[in-house]
Amino acid sequence: MVELEIGQEVEMEFGGKAQVLSVIGSGGQGTVYLVRFNGMKWALKWYDIDKMKKPKAFRKNLETNINDGPPSNKFLWPKYLTKEAEDGTFGYIMELKPDGFDSFVDILNTYKLEIDPLTGHAVKRDVKFTSLTAMITAVINIVNAFRQLHRAGKSYQDLNDGGFFINVNTGAVLVCDCDNIAPDGSNFGIGGKPGYMAPEVVRGIAQPNVQTDKYSLAVVLFKLLFRGDPMEGEKVVRDVCLTEASELKHYGQNAIFVYDPNDASNRPVRGIHDNVIKFWRIYPDYIKDAFIRSFTTGIDEPSKRIIENEWQKLFIRLRSEIIMCGCGRTNFTSMFVQPNEKTFKCPKCGMEFATLGFSNRDSRMPLYLGCKFYECEITPESDDFTTVAGELVENKLKPGVLGIKNCSERMWKAKMPDGTFYDISPGKGFPIWQGLEIDFGGITAKI
Amino acid sequence: MSNEKITDAAMNGALDGFEAASAAAEIDNSLDFDDDPLSATGVSRKSLVIFFLIDTSGSMKGKKMGELNTVMEELIPEIRRVGEADTEVKVAVLTFSTDVRWMYSTPIPIEDFEWARLRANGVTSMGAAFKELSLRMSRNSFLNSPSLSFAPVIFLMTDGYPSDDYREGLKELQSNSWYKFGLKAALGIGNEANDDVLAEFTGSKDTVVHAYSGGQLAQMIKIIAVTSSQIGSKSMTLSDDTGREIGEEDVFAAKQKLLGQQIQELVGSQVEESDVPFDTGW
Repeated sequence: MVELEIGQEVEMEFGGKAQVLSVIGSGGQGTVYLVRFNGMKWALKWYDIDKMKKPKAFRKNLETNINDGPPSNKFLWPKYLTKEAEDGTFGYIMELKPDGFDSFVDILNTYKLEIDPLTGHAVKRDVKFTSLTAMITAVINIVNAFRQLHRAGKSYQDLNDGGFFINVNTGAVLVCDCDNIAPDGSNFGIGGKPGYMAPEVVRGIAQPNVQTDKYSLAVVLFKLLFRGDPMEGEKVVRDVCLTEASELKHYGQNAIFVYDPNDASNRPVRGIHDNVIKFWRIYPDYIKDAFIRSFTTGIDEPSKRIIENEWQKLFIRLRSEIIMCGCGRTNFTSMFVQPNEKTFKCPKCGMEFATLGFSNRDSRMPLYLGCKFYECEITPESDDFTTVAGELVENKLKPGVLGIKNCSERMWKAKMPDGTFYDISPGKGFPIWQGLEIDFGGITAKI
Repeated sequence: MSNEKITDAAMNGALDGFEAASAAAEIDNSLDFDDDPLSATGVSRKSLVIFFLIDTSGSMKGKKMGELNTVMEELIPEIRRVGEADTEVKVAVLTFSTDVRWMYSTPIPIEDFEWARLRANGVTSMGAAFKELSLRMSRNSFLNSPSLSFAPVIFLMTDGYPSDDYREGLKELQSNSWYKFGLKAALGIGNEANDDVLAEFTGSKDTVVHAYSGGQLAQMIKIIAVTSSQIGSKSMTLSDDTGREIGEEDVFAAKQKLLGQQIQELVGSQVEESDVPFDTGW
């Protein structure tokens, strides 16, 4: 392997030179350097060609990906190839990770280490989501990114915890390490990371593809929400020493979900898997059922794995079922008491929350100060889960009076306390009252 | 050869003190408000202990020891970067001369590890070091992490022929399951070190390298320590696409083989340095 020296210049395929400024990190396939090219800073991934099985085909695939462009702006996509060095080594440049994003690994660890450059001492800094909405939004963003990728006919191949950067304040997601992405059905030698790889890939009987991506995606989501490994329970921990053979067994030949309803042999262990035990009881059944399906029937039957669109719908629903109570407790409606079908009550402070029922779904949305709903929830066929359509606010002129503000760009109609429907222009609002009805133009909602 | 089931009796007690949570699904949220979906602790990480076995006999005095101390100090931050992912890396250093001695009484997490400079004196009790290592490489001693562990990395550095019966110590070590599954590498320093003895320890010649000069010593320590902790702290990667189902025999000792390959590759790519060998210029 030819490592690059600081200050060295690398010739780019279409002219110009990238100058190496420093090392960012190294991984299984090569090293990533900070470089300057055309007056801007970029990341250069430089491959260790000795570790590649099919370097020519790999480069060709990378070139195709660069020409196709990213499926959306959620990807840190390869931008330009370098020329090949004498021994055939090459690399590509991509944009740098913007500030404000943390790696998924750091989120799972709940901290990151910042190394003091002078002393070499490491200092821990917290990496945690600042709100439940941000965390669920991150889930929706991850799912959506893979939906876009798969719709483009490509698979990510080696989906794992190193593949994402997430903004813990907003839930924005960037998918990185996009260089192994390949047309579904092709593989250029990458296997993946045990624990994330689909069992059939671990066993060697399938190559990474869109279906194996779906399994890995379920693992990523499980780890993000439940903060543990879906296959690591009592059965695995009994082996103590994780040898190659035990990994083959527990993630391949004999993978058993920790909450498999028909097999209790691999339940989480107190003292080791406390997160999973705690969070499993918090999430509503429709979320748990999706994971159970992914990790039971989905183990042997790739076609029964949850598709991205289904995950997306489930998590858009979950986001709309968050309650931020005035007492400081934030949780899903599944963890609130339900005195009647239209009301939720905080079991801690007793505060009650009215709900809105929408004409396009069965689940009811709890109303609390600051709660938001999104375009996709009030517009048929909309996939826009990021644009806020409405928010519950306090009337600025009448303190204490709560109402819904139209944050969308369309006219709504709402029934006011006098019994008549009024037009609600963008920027306007209406109070919440017993007989409230809203017509969003197609989809309607009622208290 | 099939992968032996780990038989170390101490390992089987792994679940002592932990209660399987099969009954944990029983919801009792009448009083318990420890239910914030955001208040997670870090995902339980797999652990990896890197053992350094270092010869501190009198012949290591001077440049060798100075070079070794310096490179080990520099190495710690580099290994730290390896462990940043989902593995908790710990370091334990065993020195052997006339006596064997642990630098710290327990393995120290790499984030907190500080290198205590070593001094050289006495003879080379390698056999005693093997025995001590075998004693500590147990579930009840140094490898007591409650969650899963990767097999340890064991890195031996020496510049001379053992002055005690190393075979007896090695025999004891070879019966230790952690040793069997561990990633073993060795570095011979100068002309006196015997690569055959080292290969007996690692189990293969591929994971034995030799340094004849200070510059090489620093390079080799870095190559071995960084490569072995990289491989040791990760799950196995897939073998070549076999076109058939992988069995235990395909993956047995896969990491040790990979370590041998990578060490040989990296050592081969090092340019010969023109600096002075340890044994000349006196």
